[in-house]
Amino acid sequence: MRDALERLRNAVVARPPGESDLVPVQQVGASGRSPSKRRGVHRPLRMLPLIELAVLAIMVAAPLVLNERAELITLITNIAILSLLAISFDLCWGFSGIMTFGQALFFGVPGYVIALIGRDLGLSQIWLTLPLAMIVGLSFAFVVALFLLLGRRPTPIFIALGTLTGSYAAERLVSGWQYVGAGNGLSAIKLLQVGSHELVEGTEFYALACIILLVVYLGARALVRSQFGLVLAGMRQNEERLDFFGYRVQIFKVLVFSLAGMISGLAGALYGYHQGFIGPGNMGPGLSTQAVIYCLLGGSGTLIGPVIGTAVIEILTYVLADIDSIRQFWPVFLGLLLLGIILFQPSGILGMVVSARERIGSYGSRRKGARQPG
Amino acid sequence: MESDIKLAFDILAFTSVMVLIVLGLGVIAGMMGIFNFAHGEFVLLGAYTLFVFHERALPLWLGIVAAPLVLALVGLVLERAVIGRFYANPIMAMLGTFATGLVIREVIRGLLGGHYKAIPEPASGVISFGGVDFPVWRAVIIGTTTIVILASWFFLARTSMGLRIRGALENPMLARACGISTARLYTITFAFGSALAGLAGALIVPLYGLSADIGIRFLVQAFLSVMLGGVGSFQGPVLGASLVGGMAAGLPWLVYPVLADPLVFIIALAIVKFRPQGLIGKGRL
Repeated sequence: MRDALERLRNAVVARPPGESDLVPVQQVGASGRSPSKRRGVHRPLRMLPLIELAVLAIMVAAPLVLNERAELITLITNIAILSLLAISFDLCWGFSGIMTFGQALFFGVPGYVIALIGRDLGLSQIWLTLPLAMIVGLSFAFVVALFLLLGRRPTPIFIALGTLTGSYAAERLVSGWQYVGAGNGLSAIKLLQVGSHELVEGTEFYALACIILLVVYLGARALVRSQFGLVLAGMRQNEERLDFFGYRVQIFKVLVFSLAGMISGLAGALYGYHQGFIGPGNMGPGLSTQAVIYCLLGGSGTLIGPVIGTAVIEILTYVLADIDSIRQFWPVFLGLLLLGIILFQPSGILGMVVSARERIGSYGSRRKGARQPG
Repeated sequence: MESDIKLAFDILAFTSVMVLIVLGLGVIAGMMGIFNFAHGEFVLLGAYTLFVFHERALPLWLGIVAAPLVLALVGLVLERAVIGRFYANPIMAMLGTFATGLVIREVIRGLLGGHYKAIPEPASGVISFGGVDFPVWRAVIIGTTTIVILASWFFLARTSMGLRIRGALENPMLARACGISTARLYTITFAFGSALAGLAGALIVPLYGLSADIGIRFLVQAFLSVMLGGVGSFQGPVLGASLVGGMAAGLPWLVYPVLADPLVFIIALAIVKFRPQGLIGKGRL
């Protein structure tokens, strides 16, 4: 009898996640160079930088336009924070092929930590608590990754199930634990402080969230476009081959997973400070699922995709929240949307305007004297 | 003494329901290589079917019979419409079934209006036997499960259809070459697994109460059981389910109940981690 786990393992080797891996790995490195080197070859319009600039412009312009409406500023701040979570999921799934159904775990736990040190120690200095949340997210994700990702080539199903289980178990545990507020969560979180100045929700907080999003975005962009990113691309395309090349694939996975945990932790802390509340639901499968939807809708395997996906879903949710008949079945619609994307448009919204070649892109710095293609 | 027997009975009832859920999940995973993340929601749908019968004041017994039939139909339609597209790509199948489960869960949440519903036991009361009281409904659960498992085993091991299913499990390519329509078998197996989940949901819901989130709990436990026992055999998942079910029902008596659930998961995950092939490696049906 064939072992289904074994079959799944083989399937990973034969079939990478998503669509974004149509180009064999050897060509990936060269694809960015070849069009610019040879004259007369049609150079396709690069869409991604345009989209990135457009999103940046919208982010800068939004508070100026929406200045009068406080609730809309709150909405866009939320989008910026949740985008961080979506990006962290994308680093795992879209870039490294680690199927995590529990990304919210590294969002909620650091969120709780900063809420607790605010309550019990009275600390909320930005230079102290945000790095702390990042460290908590990083180290917690690292421990989970050591358990789930290292060892005798864990199957994707084990990783998916392990993350889902962790997220579910944490939600259950926290909702039964009086010290952290049980099912009610922790509310009235101490406001984020810069020196003696307190950051309340509004334009200032939005600016902070945007700057952090920008820094994280640029950092992640540099990471996935580096030689490290090339290894990730090879890994999600054919893990076994990379193994044979001598790369310790699992170590790369642990690194990416931990970094993603760090980003989630930052997002969780910002979320807690912004909402003034953090509850068991913020680490459960519900929010984890939302991260999956954000990322896949926008386009996994790109960094701007998750941001766009988050914005689209959060804005629609906000607009439709006033219509009672729709609101009740909005989650159903989100589920159908996810199913539809997986079945018919695995590359998400971005896949409609950005070619597969551009989504995969090029890696490393372009050095002079690099080998001529062909 | 009496409380010990009652505890043992509770564990046994819960375990047998787990076995039902896990059997369906395990057969589907073993046969098609699909790990069905919507399986917990099939349990939920079974429970909801019973709830509908309760709401309409129809006999609950009828609901218990109807639940597996409804779920077989749901499984049939889903396999044809959605799941069948994923056989070539098990990774996307995880996402696809996960999304399917999400849809089912949210539909039921919408229908229930976010409330928690209690459903009375179709047969309440106790049977006194040898001076000890046995709750009737738990006895019914254990009895039904035993019959279903024996029937499944008989079906798989002794009928020609079962032979074909086992053949397709063992070597789909060869089975196809012999003229067995594996596509049809997959549909039948999927419907069969769904029906088992539906039956389990209908049996367990009088003990637990109905809310939209019970699916995830059963999903996680069932998955752990399958991986614990080993995929592809008949005994493996049954053994895994007994272990997980026993721990889940027994641990709250030993440790602080809030800790019990996560502890079960951690223990099971750790065992799976260090014995990835499962307790029973490669068995035969």
